[in-house]
Amino acid sequence: MANREKSNVGAERRHVETEIPRNWIVTRLDDLISWARRGSLWPMPFGTACCAIEMMATAASKYDMARYGMERLAYTPRQADVLIVAGRVPYKIAPVMRRIWDQMPQPKWCISMGACASTGGVFDNYTMVQGIDTVVPVDVYVPGCPPRPEGLLYALLMIQEKIKGESIADLRSREEDPERAGKPHLPAEEVELIAGPFGNSTFQNRVSGLESSSPILRPGDRKE
Amino acid sequence: MKRVAVGTVERADIKELRTRFGDAIRGVELDAARDPVVYIDASRSVEILSYLRGSQGYDMLKDVTGLDLGGGRPIQVVYQLWSTEQARPLRIKAEVPADRPKLGSVFGVWRASNWLEREVYDMFGVSFEGHPDLRRILMPENYEEGYPLRKDFPLRGRFTRAEQTRRALAMGLEDVYSLQELAVVEGGAGDGGRAVEAEADLSGVTAGAVKPGSAEQQEMAGLATRHMILNIGPQHPATHGVLRLVVELDGETIVKCTPHIGYLHSGFEKLGEYREWNQNIPLTDRMDYLAPMMYNIGYALAVEKLLGLEVTPRCKVIRLICCELNRILSHLIWIGTTALDIGAFTPFLYTFQERERIYNLHEAYAGARMTTSVSRIGGMMADVPPGWLDAVRDFVETFPQTLLETERLLTENSIWIGRTQGVGVIGPEDAINVGACGPNLRASGVPYDVRRERPYLDYETYDFDIPVGRYGDTYDRYLVRMEEMRQSLRILEQALERVPDGPINVDDPRVILPPKSQVMNSIDGMIAHFKLVMEGLKVPAGEVWYSIESSKGELGFYLVADGGPKPVRCRYRTPSFINMSTLPYLVEGELIADIIAVNASIDIVLGEIDR
Ligand code: SF4
Repeated sequence: MANREKSNVGAERRHVETEIPRNWIVTRLDDLISWARRGSLWPMPFGTACCAIEMMATAASKYDMARYGMERLAYTPRQADVLIVAGRVPYKIAPVMRRIWDQMPQPKWCISMGACASTGGVFDNYTMVQGIDTVVPVDVYVPGCPPRPEGLLYALLMIQEKIKGESIADLRSREEDPERAGKPHLPAEEVELIAGPFGNSTFQNRVSGLESSSPILRPGDRKE
Repeated sequence: MKRVAVGTVERADIKELRTRFGDAIRGVELDAARDPVVYIDASRSVEILSYLRGSQGYDMLKDVTGLDLGGGRPIQVVYQLWSTEQARPLRIKAEVPADRPKLGSVFGVWRASNWLEREVYDMFGVSFEGHPDLRRILMPENYEEGYPLRKDFPLRGRFTRAEQTRRALAMGLEDVYSLQELAVVEGGAGDGGRAVEAEADLSGVTAGAVKPGSAEQQEMAGLATRHMILNIGPQHPATHGVLRLVVELDGETIVKCTPHIGYLHSGFEKLGEYREWNQNIPLTDRMDYLAPMMYNIGYALAVEKLLGLEVTPRCKVIRLICCELNRILSHLIWIGTTALDIGAFTPFLYTFQERERIYNLHEAYAGARMTTSVSRIGGMMADVPPGWLDAVRDFVETFPQTLLETERLLTENSIWIGRTQGVGVIGPEDAINVGACGPNLRASGVPYDVRRERPYLDYETYDFDIPVGRYGDTYDRYLVRMEEMRQSLRILEQALERVPDGPINVDDPRVILPPKSQVMNSIDGMIAHFKLVMEGLKVPAGEVWYSIESSKGELGFYLVADGGPKPVRCRYRTPSFINMSTLPYLVEGELIADIIAVNASIDIVLGEIDR
């Protein structure tokens, strides 16, 4: 397998070399487009909390994500391809995040950076969205609290890897229903399922300063 | 909490308070730090508090917060005062019934109370009569689940997650972003009269507020102008996080600026009541992630005060080194991002380079770059690794070079001077009254620094200066921070000289886990380990206000314990919150471009503003 690939590459190179003087090459349209797309991703940094600082570090001198084609951080969603949600997302900012996602043109991808963005992290409380995937679709989750800059770089490379496999003929993943704009990404039951308390956090229903009450067992227990 | 009978606290100001107000003084007690707490009659609170400000010199209002003990007991509203002249604190408590909590507002006495009272309203439902702009501040304005910090409010809120998500996304951004709504949503620096005025204006006009008086004149001359309302944020690269500023402009001049916060409210204070004392430490560094160790250590110091515990000499010096390193870390990011906002990119790269070096030190010690969680109650997570102190020494020796280079880029740079000198000026009295703290306060010429006023970690034994500014403008705030880094280096040099040998943790099995060798080999050790793990660290009933000088200003912890393993109230008085509320006073009358410079210059971090 490896051999065959190698020889293919050789053949391609020869081909390119012989054709370049005549100024044209032959390739698959998908390859060409995905090559162009992945080499010039413009991330839209949506940094809220601690993770945003690591995102800044990723862009700054030592880690320098411009090396991978993310030369330009797009501060406007209209000109961005990758939404990087770095940090906690409380309910108050959720509609803003959804709006930014809706404003980004297709094709677009989303990275959820850090435990908080991915699951709510340690903030299993009244104000925090329990995973941004309840609000927008996510392509890559980066674990960590905060993830190291290397982690974010790896996520960006994974997005590039994903783009490699996409075809422009396949429109399914790129279709958007205008009706869904500004709505939760998942149906209510699924939000309940993934956002319900679990593990240690089920036993944290301390009601008053001086006494504790029984734990919440199922998400449905809390219905009004 | 035991109440000490009235009269046992021998302080002249309290005695005088008593003779003057008689029955309105309900009781006096001492807290764990032996500071007096005075209970007053809620119906006369404004009168008493204005007397304290006017005649007793309590010119600084550090905090207003609430305390709910649950079980339908009255809600206590807690005022933390400080007199800069006498250098002494005073805590005032007024009790209001939980079902209809109402209290007079002290906005007329201290401007600093504006946001603090709004927060108490938001979190406890206490309404302050006479407050010019009593709206929710951290939660969305149409929040319907109740008052989160009340004891009967469940940790996860009253609605299901799906319902909460649906409601959040249905919030209708256009509603809040329309011109009318933005103009009606008044507040910030404006006093009550102004808010009403603007609202009245609007009723006649459909597309924007018209300045009364001048508008008429101009209309006669055929030059009608309208004020424009500009919305910055909540997602904007120059707001340093998710901050929203609504600015009313007359041409390019800022008429009014209203910050909207709460977009990063994470419920730290509520979570704090559900975590054990030590488990709160990882939460503290997620509040100010620019100086995480300072927060870890400040919290541990506050709990130790409650416990009446003194840490070991080695621990004190190591903690101090961590604190000063973090002051540099935080000021570095401040310079980098502020310069970036004003248009200079190079300092950003320089300072991030140096930050990486401090991050490496963090990583060597705590294993994490940013979320260090380095302290424990009674000590540190571990002793510093071998060679760490040498690495710090190396940093202290080489860092001045970068500092010099950065200074050369900025201090005499004419663009920098043009953008910062004379911009966002505030005088010393005003700065105290609106609640500015930390470098912002010192830039206005008030030499207030907790390290001097109420020393902790033996700061009084170190030789360092407190830089103060003269003009109180953006440039002074820059110079003060630059000089503070120099002073931090001085402190670090002295501290590195004197790191004593010895244990890092206190030798107290009630607080610190015994070493594994003891746990495995002796029954005492095993019992101590078991009890601490299973029952948690027990803190005796009582309360304390403890503050340290963080890189951004005075960071206060108001902790209330009931003798159990978890806090009853975990209040973080974060400096950025108060500093942020001073922004309107700084920018009104300036140009729109200056708002970015001034906002950057007060050094905010949204994590601790919104908590
Ligand atoms: S995952 Fe951790 S570092 Fe990131 S925002 Fe959440 S608490 Fe902060």
